Amino acid sequence: MPDPILIAEGVTYRVGDITLVEHVDLVARPGEVIAILGPNGAGKTTLLRLLAGDLLPDAGSITVNKVDVCSAVPRELAKVRSMMRQGGIRDIPFTALAVVKMGRHPHRNDENASRDSERAAIRSAMGRTDTLHLAGRTFATLSGGEQTRVVMARVFAQAAPLVLLDEPTTALDVAHQERVLREMRQLAAEGACVIAVLHDLNAAAFYADRIVLMNESIVEDEGSPGEVLRAGLLSDVYGQTMTVAEHPTRGCPLVLITDTVR
Amino acid sequence: MKDESWLKAADPHFSRRAWFWPLATVFSLGSIFISLAIGAVDISISDVVSVLLAKVGFGEASVQADAVVWGIRVPRVLLGFLVGATLGLVGAVLQGLLRNELADPHLLGIGPGASIGAALGAIAGGIRGAIAGGFVAGIATSFVLRGLVRRSTIDPTRIVLLGVALGAMLSAFVGFVVFGADRSVVPPIEFWLLGSLSGATWLALGTASVVLAVAIGGLLASARNLDLLSLGEIEARHLGVDTNLVTTVVLIGCGAAVGVTVGLSGVVVFVGLLVPFLMRPIVGSKHRYLLFASMIGGGVFVVLADLLARTLLSPIEIPVGLVTAVIGGPVFLWLLLRKDSQDA
Repeated sequence: MPDPILIAEGVTYRVGDITLVEHVDLVARPGEVIAILGPNGAGKTTLLRLLAGDLLPDAGSITVNKVDVCSAVPRELAKVRSMMRQGGIRDIPFTALAVVKMGRHPHRNDENASRDSERAAIRSAMGRTDTLHLAGRTFATLSGGEQTRVVMARVFAQAAPLVLLDEPTTALDVAHQERVLREMRQLAAEGACVIAVLHDLNAAAFYADRIVLMNESIVEDEGSPGEVLRAGLLSDVYGQTMTVAEHPTRGCPLVLITDTVR
Repeated sequence: MKDESWLKAADPHFSRRAWFWPLATVFSLGSIFISLAIGAVDISISDVVSVLLAKVGFGEASVQADAVVWGIRVPRVLLGFLVGATLGLVGAVLQGLLRNELADPHLLGIGPGASIGAALGAIAGGIRGAIAGGFVAGIATSFVLRGLVRRSTIDPTRIVLLGVALGAMLSAFVGFVVFGADRSVVPPIEFWLLGSLSGATWLALGTASVVLAVAIGGLLASARNLDLLSLGEIEARHLGVDTNLVTTVVLIGCGAAVGVTVGLSGVVVFVGLLVPFLMRPIVGSKHRYLLFASMIGGGVFVVLADLLARTLLSPIEIPVGLVTAVIGGPVFLWLLLRKDSQDA
């Protein structure tokens, strides 16, 4: 097994008296896709923001590639992790291409960077997210889904070994959802570690190696999709009855909503 | 190469910039030259040319033409250009930093704050004292502003309102200093509220340009970080920008630059607001281009405004800020109303 890229130990985050994330341990390795699942308010986004270094934990430690997230300088951190926030970018006046180019900022002074290699990186990131045709459009004029894909391209262009995605598929149509999820897998195949907050249980069932199920600020369960996606557990955590079948073609669990009144 | 054309096609301002830079150069030189030729004393264009040529060793100029053009007008016009360029640049920088196109150094209170220091400095040491006082007080006001901005990152219009309140308050303090001091050493109140380039001398120009060169250099160097900041503070940090450091450095640079211009020429309003607003549609929002364009635009704007200020009601000279305000005020109102309708 490769060395972990991310090690989080006993991570706790409070705002006033309220604990948003309580004593979370997480180890993630290159090549893995980890899905963070859980109902609204479970602490998923807060956990992701802690991993990204946006928030400082009240207790515990987080290292990415042996870099301490809490004390690292932004430059150093930007080389090892990228992050896509939910609804992060607003109406900015730049073209889609300019936004994607900004993803290369951390590599500006890399020794082996050349004009051609930079362009290739940008082109490849835009190709993977189906945004090449949007290159000259002003970001603010794009639809929500197109904006999401451009931001995704920026994250891909950053080429960090740890990729953090907060609900990357939320604004997308079905075909683009699958495309983004496939690219997420592809990033992992190329050696990155992807941690994504997802709402779609079935996307997690097929695309994730590991699921972290959060509920009320703690990790309720963690393991492979087959281990975590159990009808009883999901029904309890979400307060909605569900049943789990086998996907007819994908060979993974298929979560179905049912109507039994509990 | 195929890649090349794809990248150019993806920049809608590429072709506009191609004609903008030569045009900007023509406008700059044109406005400066016209301003050198027009004034209270009639000097023909050929005399202006011969004065300038004489300075680089070609031919000779009359003593009177030399005294007027080289002794009075050249420092004044250059100072006007320098002040305008600085204010245009600072406006563009602040608008990028605060992600708000309503930001302007004087509207945000930096100018009025610097005025207090400059007025006190003038009491202590004339024009050099005014420059030094403005420099210090400009930076100090920037830090006050930074404290206010920190607490109101959510609502950009609020930042402007806070700045306007701060500015009004500080302007009142300038009044107390001016009216309490010896009128023969401190410039009159209209200088501080509306600005004037009538005090331009080679000494003032020389002293100011050293400080301004450093501050302007620092602000221009922040162009890339300002681009990244327009994604949002958190996104910029994700991409490796030390946002706290950039904000602090940029605000010090703005405070220093504005402070020096205030010491030189008082508060010339609306330049920082108006110029970047006009330049953005032409050169685009990338700060690498916008900052340079705003400097040129600001320089031309103030030089021409000063030309009007000293000729419109000649022989009476009106404050240059009165001219910039007459043009800038309506634009500011329009911007504010447009913003209201967008937010609604």
